Order: sequence, then C-alpha cells, then structure tokens
Amino acid sequence: MRFLGYAVANVFETLLRLLPFPCRTGLIKIGKPQKDSPVFLTCNYHLTVQRVKRALKGMDAYLLIANSRGINVWCAAAGGHLTNHEVISVLKTSGIEGLVGHRQVILPQLAATGVELKIIKEKTGWRIIWGPVYAKDIPVFMQNKMKAGRMEREVKFPFIQRLEVAISWAFSLSLLAGIIAAIFFPRVFVPLILFIWGLSLATFIFYPLYGSWLSSGKGSLTFSLLVWGVILLALVLYSHLSSGISWRFLIRWGIISFVFVFITTLDLKGGSPLLAGGFEELKVTIDEDKCRGAAFCETVCPRNCYDVNRKKHKAILPRAERCVLCGACIIQCPFDALYFKNPEGEVILPGTMRKYKQNLLGKRVMKTGNNR
Amino acid sequence: MSTYILMKILESAPSRYDLGIRLLTLGRLGKAYDRLTSLVKKGDRVLDLGSGTGALALRAAQKGAKVKGIDINPRMLETAQARVKAANLAQNIEFVEMGVVELDKEEAESFEVVMSGLCFSELTEDELRFTLKELRRILKPGGLLLIADEARPRTILKSLIISPLRMFLRIFVFILTQTTTRALKNLPEQVRTAGFDIVSSKLNRSETFLELVARKPGGREK
Repeated sequence: MRFLGYAVANVFETLLRLLPFPCRTGLIKIGKPQKDSPVFLTCNYHLTVQRVKRALKGMDAYLLIANSRGINVWCAAAGGHLTNHEVISVLKTSGIEGLVGHRQVILPQLAATGVELKIIKEKTGWRIIWGPVYAKDIPVFMQNKMKAGRMEREVKFPFIQRLEVAISWAFSLSLLAGIIAAIFFPRVFVPLILFIWGLSLATFIFYPLYGSWLSSGKGSLTFSLLVWGVILLALVLYSHLSSGISWRFLIRWGIISFVFVFITTLDLKGGSPLLAGGFEELKVTIDEDKCRGAAFCETVCPRNCYDVNRKKHKAILPRAERCVLCGACIIQCPFDALYFKNPEGEVILPGTMRKYKQNLLGKRVMKTGNNR
Repeated sequence: MSTYILMKILESAPSRYDLGIRLLTLGRLGKAYDRLTSLVKKGDRVLDLGSGTGALALRAAQKGAKVKGIDINPRMLETAQARVKAANLAQNIEFVEMGVVELDKEEAESFEVVMSGLCFSELTEDELRFTLKELRRILKPGGLLLIADEARPRTILKSLIISPLRMFLRIFVFILTQTTTRALKNLPEQVRTAGFDIVSSKLNRSETFLELVARKPGGREK
C-alpha cells in the first residue's frame, strides 16, 4: 500500500515536474532515533522527501524538512529559495536542538549553491556536513563514516533521469498545446501530441550522442536549427513518398515543428545538469594568492572539476571544461579565493554570489564588475 | 539546474511583486495598511516583519516612527531601500536582512509596535509559533501587534466558492512572481494563545482577508 502511494507520487510529480509540490516542513523521525542519531536536512519538494525517506529506511535518524517553497534542492538553492534563512529556521524552530546531543547536520551537497557553511556555524553553532548528491547514496555515505566519495559527489544524467525530464517536458507542452489545438485546430490534435512526445523523448534519450558536441562550445541555436533541418527533410521525404509534395502540409508542419523544436531544444544546456546554461561566457577563476588549498571547492563541486595539490596547498582546475557555473565553490570558499570572470575581464565577486545566488546572475550584477 | 528562462522571470520578480500581491489581495491591501498604521504614534519604535517592498514601513515612518524592517530577500530589501530614499525617510527606517527566527537576538521590551503585512502566511507552522513567542517578549507592555494577512474562510459555503477562485489566482500570480501565500487558519486564536489581548479582529465579507490588532497586556492602557 505504501509502495503504491510512492509509485503514484513518482508518476504524478514526474508529469508535473515543472511545478512546485510543497509538503509539510519541520521534523520527521525515522526509526527510533536517540540523542546521538544523525540529523539530515532536505527541501520540502514532496517527491524529494519521499525519496530521502526511502533511502533512510532501516536507519534511526532525524530528518529536517526546510521550507524551499516546494522546489527541489538544486533549483531552490540556486534560485534563492533554499538559503541560510531556511536552514537556520528549521534548525531553531523544529525542536531538534532539544533532541540530540551533537550539532552536526547532513545537507545534500547540491544545497551548497545556496547555504553557507560558515554562516550556519556562526549563527546556530551547527556544523554542516555535505552529504551525497543523490538520496539513494545515503547508505553508502553512512558506511563510509559520513564521507561522500567522488562518485557520490557528482551530478549525472542517466537514462532514467533523462526519461523523467523528457516526460515532464512532453506532458506540460502537450497539455498546453493540446488545449489550444483542441479548440482551434482539432484536426492536428493527435499528430501534434504524438510529435511533441516523439520530439521530447528523442531529444533527451539521444542526449549522450550529441552532449559532448554541445559542450564543445557550439551554440544551442545551431543545434536547434540542425534538429529542425532534419525534421524538415523528413517532412519533405514523407510527403514525397505518400502523395506528392503538398505545400500546405509542408508549411503547416514546418511552422509547428519549428515552434516545438525551439521550445524543446533551445535551453537544452540549461535543462541538462551537465552543461552550463545561459551564462557560458563566465569562467571560475582562482586567486592564487588567496587560495590555501582548504579543498572546500573540491568537496562541493558537483562536476568534480577540482583537484587540490596537497603539497603546495593550492586548488587547481584540471577539468574546468566540465563546470556548470553553479557557483557552489565560490560561495563556500573560506578565503574568497574564487570568483567568476568573463572574457572582457569583468568579475562577479563572492559577496555578490552569496547575496544573489544564481538567481540574479544577470547583466545588473555584471555591471559591478572590475572593482576587485 | 533552473533553466535560463525561469531565471529571467525570477530575476525580475521583486519588481512585479507589488503588482502580483495587489492582484492576489484584489486591491484591499493599501487601505488595510492605512488603517493599521493609523495606530502608530510619533516617536514609536516599530518593527516591520517581512518588510518586502516597504509598504508598511514607509507609512509608519511618515507618521514619525523609528522603523526597523526585516526581510530575508535581499532584492526586496534593495527595492525597499530605494523607495525609502526617494521618500526622504532614510534616517527613520533601517532595513536588515534577517529572518523571523533571529528575533531571539532582539532585546526584550524594545518595541512599541510590531507590524506585519502578508508575512505570517509565508511562515511555516513552527516559525509562526516561534515568532509569536518572541514578539510577546520584545514588545513593551501595552505594545501593539498589527497584522494584515490572508485568511481562510470559516464558513463552508464561502470556502467552497473561494477555494477554486483562489487556486486560479495563485497559479496566475505564481507564474508572474513566483510568490505565493498560504492562507492562515485561526490566526486570532493563535495570537491569543501566545498571550496577547485581541483589540480588534476584522475579516472582509468573503472572509479571505484579516486585519488584526492585538496588545501585549500591561503598561499604558488607552
């Protein structure tokens, strides 16, 4: 019965993934927790809470649900909805301080784009330990004495996740387009819905085939045009093979496919967790003088871009091309040794990132550049 | 990762916030704020919880009060700061990025008035309990608690009519501003339980909007 509920929640919230699903905040007891039991913290996106609870099954622990307005951890942290304030709030108001003897709280590593280890320690006395990216790795993390290995610290985009993204895109798009089509163009309704689902599924399922090409600096626009070109070709071929070329058919479906190809693929980089969306011109830069090799960056980087030279006590970026510009390293560095820089030499300082997160990494912030 | 388009909308959210909230409350908010701040006196020390774009703080400062506005959103605070500067009231208002859960750092009995517009409905249950307890502590005896917020209709019939309408409004406003509120249930009762005397509690006709004036017992009686 409980599994059925879990399955229904998974299906329903995958279809409507683009919407927030808030659930109750506060304290949840897992098993029979004692004074020395571990304390976990996560967002209040309903599906996330369900999955974390499942991962914690069989353990004795406390789970704190912070008010991220029903948004998942990474998006909420980057968008300013899961910040120091929400973490401080749940630590202070949930009653956890009276239940455990220690002051250690395990946060998902992806929260590092929004929650500052240093501030939480200063204001509450609680020490943050960065847990694994995915809830399913929590048991491994606990076996390793609360240390996340390289594998558990990296964001991936496996088949099942790509399928989820494809389904959520296809469902929302076909819902919107379907209503419009049903009212104004009932004849295209069925082929349109099939087209949207086919396009979404193909785009995300075949992601590994073109992902590296996209990351090599090619614009999303080129990619979108390429996909549209292929579809146009298929349309011409189809009409040629069936009943000779009908211009009305070609123009109608040419326009329809153009619209949906662009909606689906133009923000592919932003939609994939493996590519930087939007602000690709920015580069994380290390200030060699300030860096002391404390390795905070290495711990929070969800793409494993960093290595730390333990002899020289310096961080290096041997895999900088993998960076998704989440800013977690910049926000967590205790020596302010990291910042964003664009090709014109303008910079975004750690203080700006800490205040506005990714949310406001727009032109407005860039204007404050060059004041280092 | 949040997508580019979504970020762009979020980026412009505070500027649309006022519009969104006006729609959500169907324009009654301004009048409610005027009525509540009419109770503020010259020289009062006033705390504004969830000061947002500064609507309540400005009104109180215009009456000659010393206002401290707290909010957790740095962009909101910036917008508010700009408005205060434009109104030449900067010396009377101080804005701080701070959550209600940090009110335990405030001195006891240090404010004559605490006011809050559409802030309580954004708090979690735990936060609300914590906040009311702290407010009881930091208000001077006889000090006032002024609240304007969304409420949940108590009559079943009204609730049935209002719920779908509110749902529609909420989706619209969420798309516009990524802001939403959770209407409050039984706020007057909760305020009374926290140790305040209710001076007046006023619901609008559709029972969706609450104006509440409460007083901490003791001190100067009026």
